Amino acid sequence: MVEVKLQNIVKRFGDTVALKGISLDIKHGELFTLLGPSGCGKSTTLRIIAGLEYPDEGKLYFGDQDVTYLPSHQKGAVLVFQNYALWPHMTVFDNVAYGLKLRKVPKEEIKKKVEWALELIKLKGFEDRYPTQLSGGQQQRVAIARALVVEPKVLLLDEPLSNLDAKLRLEMRSEIRRIQRELGITVIYVTHDQEEAMAISDRIAVMNVGTVEQVGTPREIYEHPRTEFVASFMGKTNVIPAKVVERNGDRVTVEFEGFRLDGLHYTGKSDNVVIVIRPERIRLKPAENAVSLTGTVDLIEYYGFFIEVIGLFGDVRMIARTISDREVGNLKPTQPVTFYINRDDIIVLPKQQL
Amino acid sequence: MAVNKWVERFFGTPMPDSVVITSFLFPLLYLIGFLVIPVLVMLLTAFVYNGHISIYWFKSIFGAPYYFNPLHPSGSLVQLIPWGNQQVYYFSGWDFGVVINSIVVSISVMILATILGVAFAFVMARYDFPGKNIVRILLFVPLLVTPFVNVVVVKKMFLPNGLINWIFYQHLHLFPHPIWIDGLVGVVIAQSMTYYPIVYLNAYASFINIDPSLEEQAENLGSRGFHLFRTVTFPLALPGIAAGAALVGIFSLEDLAAPIVFQGSAIAKKLMSFQIYSSFVSGFAVGNPQMAALALVMLTIALIIFLAIRWYVGMKQYAMLSKGGRWKPRVAKPRLWQAAVIYLIVIPALLITIFPQIGVVLLAFSKRWYGTWPEGFTLSHMEALLTQPDILRVIENSLLYSTVAIFIIILLSLTASYAAGRFKKAKLAPILDSLATIPIAVPGIVIAMSYFFFFSTVPPFKGTALDPTNLLAFFPGAALILAYSIRRLPFAARSIAAGIQQVHVSLEEAAINLGAGRWKALTSILIPMILLNLLGGAMLSFVYCMSETSVGITLGSINSTWYPITAKMKELITGSVGSANLAAALGVFLMLVQILAIVLANVITKQRYSFIGLT
Ligand SMILES: Nc1ncnc2c1ncn2[C@@H]1O[C@H](COP(=O)(O)OP(=O)(O)O)[C@@H](O)[C@H]1O
Ligand SMILES: [Mg+2]
Repeated sequence: MVEVKLQNIVKRFGDTVALKGISLDIKHGELFTLLGPSGCGKSTTLRIIAGLEYPDEGKLYFGDQDVTYLPSHQKGAVLVFQNYALWPHMTVFDNVAYGLKLRKVPKEEIKKKVEWALELIKLKGFEDRYPTQLSGGQQQRVAIARALVVEPKVLLLDEPLSNLDAKLRLEMRSEIRRIQRELGITVIYVTHDQEEAMAISDRIAVMNVGTVEQVGTPREIYEHPRTEFVASFMGKTNVIPAKVVERNGDRVTVEFEGFRLDGLHYTGKSDNVVIVIRPERIRLKPAENAVSLTGTVDLIEYYGFFIEVIGLFGDVRMIARTISDREVGNLKPTQPVTFYINRDDIIVLPKQQL
Repeated sequence: MAVNKWVERFFGTPMPDSVVITSFLFPLLYLIGFLVIPVLVMLLTAFVYNGHISIYWFKSIFGAPYYFNPLHPSGSLVQLIPWGNQQVYYFSGWDFGVVINSIVVSISVMILATILGVAFAFVMARYDFPGKNIVRILLFVPLLVTPFVNVVVVKKMFLPNGLINWIFYQHLHLFPHPIWIDGLVGVVIAQSMTYYPIVYLNAYASFINIDPSLEEQAENLGSRGFHLFRTVTFPLALPGIAAGAALVGIFSLEDLAAPIVFQGSAIAKKLMSFQIYSSFVSGFAVGNPQMAALALVMLTIALIIFLAIRWYVGMKQYAMLSKGGRWKPRVAKPRLWQAAVIYLIVIPALLITIFPQIGVVLLAFSKRWYGTWPEGFTLSHMEALLTQPDILRVIENSLLYSTVAIFIIILLSLTASYAAGRFKKAKLAPILDSLATIPIAVPGIVIAMSYFFFFSTVPPFKGTALDPTNLLAFFPGAALILAYSIRRLPFAARSIAAGIQQVHVSLEEAAINLGAGRWKALTSILIPMILLNLLGGAMLSFVYCMSETSVGITLGSINSTWYPITAKMKELITGSVGSANLAAALGVFLMLVQILAIVLANVITKQRYSFIGLT
C-alpha cells in the first residue's frame, strides 16, 4: 500500500500522443478513478503504472521510490485486465496461486491464502473448476482474487464491469467497494461510465484526449466542474454557448439567443463562454435568487420516477428534470413555459475548443 | 535512464530483456547465416567470370538454344509410333530449352493440379452423397509423400500396357490406339498427381470458409448453378486456391523425382532442376558457376511466384471480410446429373490419382511389375527394412537427422513467431516473419548448390566437416540437418505463429504483472497453451524432413555411410532391376511414419483450449 504519484507522464504510439503530460497524486488506501471517454488514455495510464508500458517522458513514484522503469514483474502494482486474462489451462486454484508460487510462499501458506482470497470474493468451493466453467461474473471475481492474494501495493482495475450485464454490474460494484474498504488498499479504477465512477470513488480524475481535466471528489466534480468537457461528461446536462456582455467584479451578465442572465459568478478572461445548468436544478415554479427564462414546451418525457420537460428558448433546447408531477401540471408541447434557476446553480465556464 | 527509441524501433519494446533479444537474434542470425549468406555466396559466384564481375554466365544460358529456345521448339507433343506390332500415341512434349521447359511444365502442373484440386474440394465442401466418408478417407491417400517411387508407378500406369490403357483402351475402347506418356508430359502428369492435394486442401478450406449468407444473397437475387459459382463462390475462394496453385508451381519447378524417374527420355532431363542436379553428381569437386547462374534463374522465378501470390492474397483479404459468427456450411444433396458427375467422373478420377500410392504398396510386396499389374507376392522387401544393414542404416540416418533438425526447427519457430507475433511494431518483426516463411519458395536444389559454394569457399567452414569438397572429413549429416532445419521451418513456424496469435497477449502480461519473468511467463503460460500447435507443426516438419529429396540426393549422397532414406531410394530406382521394389518398401515405411504422425496429431488436437472472455 503506497502513494502513487505520476509526474508529467507523456506516452506516444508512433504519431499518436496517447498521454500528453499526466500528473496525479493518489493517496494511501483510496479508491481513485480514471474517468473519460474511450480512447482518452485511461488504459495506457494504468498499463504504465503496472509496468506493462514505459512512458516516453515523466516520472512514476511509489512513495518516494522512482519506479518509472521498473519492469512489471518487480513493480507490485497488479492489474486486473478488462478481459480478466484468466489462464484457461489452469484451475481456479492454480490461477490464484500463481503469484504466490512465484514468490516461493510455502505450500501450506499458499493453500491458506488462496482459501482466504476465494472466501473474500465468495467463490469458496470453486478451486478445481477451470475458468471456462465459470460465468462472466465469477471469472471476474477470480481475476480479482488472483490480484489480491499477492498483496499488491496498488490494485489496478481496467473497466472491471464493462463485460457484465446490468444487474451483475451493480452487484460487483458494491462488492469491489466492500473489498477495498475491508482491506484498506489503494485501488486505481478505470471506467468510462460517470455514474459508476461517482458511485464507487473517493476521488475521480476526468480525462480527455491524453490530459487530466479535473481531479476531485465525485461531488466536487459534479457540482463544480472546472471545464466545459467535465461539465458535459458528468451526466445529462444543459451546456449552452453564450457571451459575456457585462462584467461587474466577479459577477457577469451573459446573453444567448436574446436571453440575458445577470448576476452570475465568473472570473475567466474569455467572453466566449458556456453556461452549464444541471436539469434537476431547474424549477418550473418561482424560487429564491432565481433568473427566469420563458420559452415553449418542446417535449415532455416521462421516465417514471422523474419527468423531463424540454423547453425551447430560441434555438436552444434546455432540459428540466423534476420528480413532482404537480410541478409539471398539465403542460403540453407548444405551450409557453418558464424555467427558474437559482443563480448559484448556473456555472459559467470558458468555451473550450473540443 | 530514459527510453531508448533506437532499441524500441528494432525490438518493439524500449527495454527488451534477454528472452526478447534472443527471440529476435537467434532465428535472425541463423536464417541469415544458413540461408541468406549461402545464397548470396552463390549469387556472387554466378556473377564472377575470370575474376571480374560479369553477367557472362547468364549470357551463356540465355544465349544458348539448349537452355533458352522460346521461338523454335523441337519435338512434338504427341506422335504415332510403332510399339511391338501396334501403333501407340507417344506423348513427350516440345523442347523450348531448359529454362522455358521448366516454366511450361510448372504452369501446366499448376493448371492440372488446380482443376483436380478445385473439383474434389468443391464436391467435398458442397455435396452430401452416399460414400462421402469413404471418399474423405481416400482423399487422405494422395497426401502421403513417397519420393521417387510414386513417380515410378505413374510411369508404369501410362505405359502402353499400363493401367490407363487397360481401362480406357482395352476395356472402354475410348482411344483408337494405346497411349504412352513419357518425357516432359510424363513429368507434368506425375507432378500434377503428386501436388494437387495442396490445391485441394487450400480450396477446401476456402469453400468451407465462405459465409453462406453471401451465396444465399446471390441466390435470392436470382443467381443459380454455374452462374452462382462463377460470380460469387469461385471469386471468394480464389485467394486460397491461388495460394495453393502458386505453391504447386514452386514445387513443380524444384521437383527432381519426376525428371529423374523419366530421365530415360532425354527431353525429361531438359529441366532446370535436373540440369543443376546432374552437374552436382557428375563433377563434385568443381562448382560450376554456370549452374550457380541457372540456380539463380530458378530461384528468381520461384520468388516471383511467391511474392506475387503474397501480394495478391494480401490484397484480396475480402474473403475474410464477412462478419464472424458460426454458420452452417452449405451442403446439399446432389441432383441427378450432379450425382452422375460425382460417381462417374470425380470419384474415378480420384481413384486414378491415388493409384500411385496404392501402386507403391503393391510394388513393395511384389517380385516384379512388367505389365499392367505387379506379380509374385513377397515379403522379402519389407523384411529388408528390418534386416538389411544398408537399409537400416539409412533409416537410422534419416531419423537422426530429422530429429536433430526438428529440435532446431522448434527453437527457431518458437523464437521467431514469438518475436514477430508479440512485438509487431519492431522493425525486425516483418523481416523475421518473411525469413521464416520464405524457405518454402527456395528450391531445395538451390539450397544444396548454395551450401556447396558457401561451405567450400567461406571460412570458417572451408575445410571443416561441412565442406563437401573436403572429401575425407565431410559429414553430410551436418549439412543435411542445416538444410532440413531451413527448408522445413515454414511448416512448424506457421503452425506455431497461428497458435501464438490465438493466445491473447494479456494472458502473458497478467503473469508478468503478477511477478513472473518473461521466461517464466513463456514456459508457464504461452508454451502450454500452444502445445498442440507446437506438436502439430513439429510433426508436419518432421515427416517432411524424413522425405526431403533435393538436398538428400545431392549433398546427402556423397558418402553412402551417411545416406538419408531419399538418397538410398534414388540410388535404388536408378539402379539395377528389382531394386525399385526395395525403394517402394522404403516408400511404405515413409507412408507409415506419416500416417502415424497424422493420427497422433488428430488424436491430440481433438480437444483444444480457446481464449476465454472478450478481447
Ligand atoms: N499499443 C498501442 N499502439 C498504438 N496505439 C495505442 C496503443 N495503445 C493505445 N493506443 C492509442 O492510445 C490512445 C489511448 O488508448 P487507451 O489508453 O487504450 O484509451 P482508453 O483506455 O481510455 O480507451 C488511443 O488513441 C489508442 O488508439
Ligand atoms: Mg481502455
